Amino acid sequence: MITVLLHGAWRNFAGGAREVRLDAPTLRGVLEGLVAAHPSLRERLRDEHGKLRPHLALFVNDEDARLLGGEDATLKDGDIVHVIPALSGGNIEPSDVRAVVITRVVFS
Amino acid sequence: MTKTVTLLVGTKKGLFQLKSDADRKKWALEGPYGNPAPIHHASFDPRDQSMYAAINSTWGGSRLEYSRDLGKTWTVSKNPAFPAGADRTFYQTWHIEPGHPKTPNVVWAGTEPAALFKSEDRGETWSLNTALDDQPSRKEWVPGFGGMGLHSIAIDAADPKFMQVGISVGGVYTTKDGGASWTRDNAQKGGPADRPDVFGCIHKLLAHPKTSGVRFMRVHLEVYWRDPGETTWTFRTPGLPSNFGFAAAIHPHDAKTAWCIPLDDAKRTAKEPGIAVYKTTDRGATWTRQDAGLPKGAPLESLREGMDNDDFDDVGVYFGTANGDVYASRDEGKSWERIWQYLPYVTSVHAATIV
Repeated sequence: MITVLLHGAWRNFAGGAREVRLDAPTLRGVLEGLVAAHPSLRERLRDEHGKLRPHLALFVNDEDARLLGGEDATLKDGDIVHVIPALSGGNIEPSDVRAVVITRVVFS
Repeated sequence: MTKTVTLLVGTKKGLFQLKSDADRKKWALEGPYGNPAPIHHASFDPRDQSMYAAINSTWGGSRLEYSRDLGKTWTVSKNPAFPAGADRTFYQTWHIEPGHPKTPNVVWAGTEPAALFKSEDRGETWSLNTALDDQPSRKEWVPGFGGMGLHSIAIDAADPKFMQVGISVGGVYTTKDGGASWTRDNAQKGGPADRPDVFGCIHKLLAHPKTSGVRFMRVHLEVYWRDPGETTWTFRTPGLPSNFGFAAAIHPHDAKTAWCIPLDDAKRTAKEPGIAVYKTTDRGATWTRQDAGLPKGAPLESLREGMDNDDFDDVGVYFGTANGDVYASRDEGKSWERIWQYLPYVTSVHAATIV
């Protein structure tokens, strides 16, 4: 069983839900299951061409999912997936966002 | 029947509503809604009293929302979207324009990347206007300082099929068949002799709401007027203290009268001696400075959607500023008062006259 924890604005997008539990072998499968549980997240996660939106940070346990293969990251029973509003700000365009740096995250 | 007015005030941190009764002297603030998302524009549809808001959120993508209960609750629409295979992705909405009274369910939206979307179900779903999108000249469009957006949708007072759109930086396009076909519409007369057109950086294009064929246009470095039957833009900048500006409004009962707020081209704020509204009563032939009640010497800034008017017999005119002020005039600009302050950076002001 995978636990998906929604943080910040993502809870609002899911009608206040904080957590979803589901089975999926990959992060892509987790996101599909998340959308099945909360259809309002479909257009929040992806643009009209299916691409993950900018300013969205996905972590598997305490690792940035991009370092684990992105949506192809394989998951195992007990993993925790965090869906987080990426820390960003200022007057910049999404194309200017090169990286999201989080040195240590404590989830509660 | 008693009228009231609600100002839909978009800011960089959510949508506010400023409400007043028919006297328009005392104002009450509600909101914000949607913060921390910037609100490029919000509008009121007098046909059915719907409200629309461009919730341009960074997180989870921008949303276009509508309210059927005068802003008490909001519903997320099925967003504007470019079709599969398109070379662009919807980023945000710049303007929402309720359609003509003869097309009761139609609402239009201008977006970034620059495109025109049409709703035929009161804003619940949106479809791309492919005739404009397929214009060969689209390859010539480029972003302005604020991005590349379609921000002005000017629907003729008499004919819902006769419209113009304004694009930064892409110029004006006109349709006379409801958007099935478009032609570039930038020819000017009386303006700079070194170029034959109005220059592509349109800042604000307004159609008179009751007189067919009348248009008032604020361009990057000029203002222009068009009267019924004309097919060129008449240069009407002389008399203004500077060429540059964004905010503009047109008198709903007098097709010769309009207002604009000139800004310094380099600083993008009001020039000395400070913020002022300029009014014409002769189609832009002459301009009169109106600053009674406005802060003296204040280098304020009002953006593209920052100015609007209500539909009272004695027209109220309103504008918001980047420092979070909202100003109102109940005498068509002769005098002004600050009706609110300390809001976030104001990006849009839309006056809803509610009957």
